[in-house]
Amino acid sequence: MQAVQSSFYLEDPFGFSATFVGFDNYIDALTSDYYLHVAKFTLIFTILVTFFSLALGLLLAAKADDVIRGSSSYKTLLISVYAIAPPVAGLIGMMFFDQHIGPFVKMAAWFGWDMKVGINYFDTAFAMITVAVWKQIPYNFIFILSGLQSIPVSVREAAAIDNRSRFGRFWTVTLPLLAPTAFFLLIINMTYSLFDTFGIIDVIVKDKAANNPITLVYKVYMDGFRGNDIGGSAAQSVILMLIVLVLTFFQFRFIERRVHYN
Amino acid sequence: MHKTTFSDHLILLFGVFIMVGPIFVAFMTSTHDAIDVHMKGLQVAWGDDFVDTYKEVLTKKGGFTGDVTGARMVMNSFILGIGFAVGKIVLSMLAAYGLVYFRSRFSTLFFWMIFTTLLLPLEVRILPSYDVMTKLGLVNTYTGLIVPLLASATGTFFFRQFFKSVPDELLEAARIDGAGPFKFFIDILVPLSKTMIAAIFIIMFVYGWNQYLWPMIMTNEESFYTLVRGIKQILLVWVGSQIPEYNQAFALAVLAMLPPVLIVVIFQSWFIKGLTESDK
Amino acid sequence: MKKFVLAALTVGLSTSTAFAATDITWWHGMGGNNQAVINEISKRFNESQDTCNLTPVSKGTYEEALASGIAAFRSGEQPNILQVFDAGAATIMNAKGAAIAAEDLINNAGYDFNREDFIEGVRYFYADSDGKFVGMPFNSSAPIMYINTEAFEKAGVEPPKTWEEFEQIAPALKDAGYTPLVQSQLTWEMTENFFSRNNLQFATNNNGYDSVDGTEILVNTPEHVMMYDKLKDWYDNGYFGYYGAGWSDNQKPFEEDKVALWVGSSGSFGGLQKSAQMPFSATFLPYWEAIEGAGTNSFIGGAALFALSGKDDAQNQCTADFFQFLTSPEIQYFWHQSTGYVPVTTAAYELAKEDGWYEKQPVAEVGIKQLSLPGGEWSKGYRMGFYPQIREVMEREYNKIFAGETSVEDAMNTIQKEGNALLGRFAKTASN
Repeated sequence: MQAVQSSFYLEDPFGFSATFVGFDNYIDALTSDYYLHVAKFTLIFTILVTFFSLALGLLLAAKADDVIRGSSSYKTLLISVYAIAPPVAGLIGMMFFDQHIGPFVKMAAWFGWDMKVGINYFDTAFAMITVAVWKQIPYNFIFILSGLQSIPVSVREAAAIDNRSRFGRFWTVTLPLLAPTAFFLLIINMTYSLFDTFGIIDVIVKDKAANNPITLVYKVYMDGFRGNDIGGSAAQSVILMLIVLVLTFFQFRFIERRVHYN
Repeated sequence: MHKTTFSDHLILLFGVFIMVGPIFVAFMTSTHDAIDVHMKGLQVAWGDDFVDTYKEVLTKKGGFTGDVTGARMVMNSFILGIGFAVGKIVLSMLAAYGLVYFRSRFSTLFFWMIFTTLLLPLEVRILPSYDVMTKLGLVNTYTGLIVPLLASATGTFFFRQFFKSVPDELLEAARIDGAGPFKFFIDILVPLSKTMIAAIFIIMFVYGWNQYLWPMIMTNEESFYTLVRGIKQILLVWVGSQIPEYNQAFALAVLAMLPPVLIVVIFQSWFIKGLTESDK
Repeated sequence: MKKFVLAALTVGLSTSTAFAATDITWWHGMGGNNQAVINEISKRFNESQDTCNLTPVSKGTYEEALASGIAAFRSGEQPNILQVFDAGAATIMNAKGAAIAAEDLINNAGYDFNREDFIEGVRYFYADSDGKFVGMPFNSSAPIMYINTEAFEKAGVEPPKTWEEFEQIAPALKDAGYTPLVQSQLTWEMTENFFSRNNLQFATNNNGYDSVDGTEILVNTPEHVMMYDKLKDWYDNGYFGYYGAGWSDNQKPFEEDKVALWVGSSGSFGGLQKSAQMPFSATFLPYWEAIEGAGTNSFIGGAALFALSGKDDAQNQCTADFFQFLTSPEIQYFWHQSTGYVPVTTAAYELAKEDGWYEKQPVAEVGIKQLSLPGGEWSKGYRMGFYPQIREVMEREYNKIFAGETSVEDAMNTIQKEGNALLGRFAKTASN
């Protein structure tokens, strides 16, 4: 709530003085070309990260649920990745895509892809999305797996008799039963890509946004945390909150209707 | 049940390779010395500095007071992880239970109110949260570290989803048996939620275990150092003038993974139990 | 009975204050080796006397330390000493009442503060427009040019002092198989210190020192545009390599012996000695012969210590004691030797010279020599609010220049426009 109040002021960070500026902070943000540019990338970033981390998490969880031999080693290994300390995960990502010595960059060079993370917009975005997805897959894996495990075997057996094709069975029986979890994950992944990725972005751009792709929350971080523009960053967080609120509201209205709980 | 195919294993192995590969590389890199890592980057082969690096990391007494030891950091991370996971599960199960089973006019409103907190990551509400904690005199306490982190709706939302999918017949049956709301919760819902609890425990434990920004702002004493802060501190060197002890950071990160992995292994059996129980 | 308890309590209190040392805290933003050195200095301070007890606390990065300090200040839990980095200095210095000027603090504590004790380039950066020290300069560095000596032997040329000389020798270096020049931070090395080394005005209102109201940045001046036109030209001809805004991405080719000249920090030599695959030396950051009055000292980079307000006299006395201790030649020399940052006082510099430190480490002297060059009107410092954001705008536009997405002229106009908008916003936070 304090954020809403601050967003109408231009404030000295130490709290000595504040000037009421009305909607100026909002106007400054929304009329800036750069802000809109960042918003566009945020949209693409959020869609891609949500989609890929969910899809890959689902694929791995479904397979790990299927296999019997070695299933617990697969599960332990895949879940464990989630435990890596964030600063080191970022460091691995950064070194992996290093312009001069990154293994991925060298690999890309074999295919004639001259990757320049930190200069080339697309390459930087690619590295950013890859690391963000990598970090989030285990999270989805855990929840989808727990969702799959709680589907009673009797239901599965019945389905196995009804439907011979594995894919068809998955599509018509398993997925609808997974819907409550999937809906939860959809929203969580969206907020993850919107909010919790600024650490990854910071590492990939080496704390210099320059003309590299960044997301709205990173902009809030830069202006508020690094630049001490309390009013401006508060206005930006309010905008961000409104966007998410509207998005989730629509998701609840239109997608949740299709989710059958019982 | 159907037979597992070769392709299933292939996909899983590939998944493990992509996901775990970087961790393996981190371990290998930790066995090289810092200059090598700085110049040549990530390593995939075994280096010569394994013993030196790990001995240094495990025995070093860091910080101004000498309080920053490996054991101390592990303990602090553990307190944060466990405290956070347990607190979160208890709180969010109760809240979700209330939301799903005591449907009142306000429950939707209440849900949305909780939900908006989910949208506000801690980083955005640092100033007000810090202010409240200082007024309560909770700076430099574990309570001050854990409580503000509990305020988010992830867990509540997750359990809401699950409780909603529990068949209503169960509630009816319980009612006929004369079970009160509390008994129903403890005897039926909690056991049913076992795999869910396991999943959320792992997630929340790791979340608490890996906290960085909030502990750094809330505590001014070195005896509150967590492992992740230890790692950040090593990397907190301006690369322009010095070379960070990359090997130590990687080593600490690999070591820091062990307790969460242990938790995963312990809860593994819960995941499988859920399956076998329904097999009967 | 009650009276007795009260009396006993006051006695107890007064005795405890008489014996216990006054505790003061210092929040900083350093890790790794520098943190170890800070801990060592604090230990030595505590051992040197018994009235004050200093505890240093690392609060993450510079930004995190400043943000923690601000959060704490607003709740009345601030530390006695807060480390604030160069680009954030305007934030704390314009928040009148947040910090006690270091000079006042030291004078009030009964010490004799003498501005002339500090070396030229350090003297004004954290001072107000009257020259009064507000922040106490602490870790200081300067942008200097590192030289790959082998490359120059192969090419048969001499290291340049001016950019004109560089233009002369660049083709020879290129023919010898090297990228002639790279740098690591355009904003600090080619913009801010372009203005200081060439003694050019960087912002109106006396580089922003006199007032926040109406301060405007001056990046689209002909000289500054010329600098970047040249850089772009050199880049197109293969005389200048650019690897983005990241510091280490640009440093690495130099370490790998692919580059002849690298503009880095005066503190970089310690790391370079371990990582560079060839012998190297260093010299001053070049300037333009063609610009009149050029060749002045550079601004300092790094950070300063600020004594925060709202503390009692005993604590402020201790903070002043510590500042005195910190600027003593022995401690400055120790700091200089173990971290690579320059000493901030002339006395410490003399001590290092006497001790023969620069015979062992000639590169260590380049930074302090450059900071000790004669000063000019515009080489004292700059003070612009929301400067971290302005730097971000510069970084964005400079990247676009080298990607060929914009012209130098357009880029500078954009920086001018967005920079002034930010300065205008900042003026509104500070006024009243």
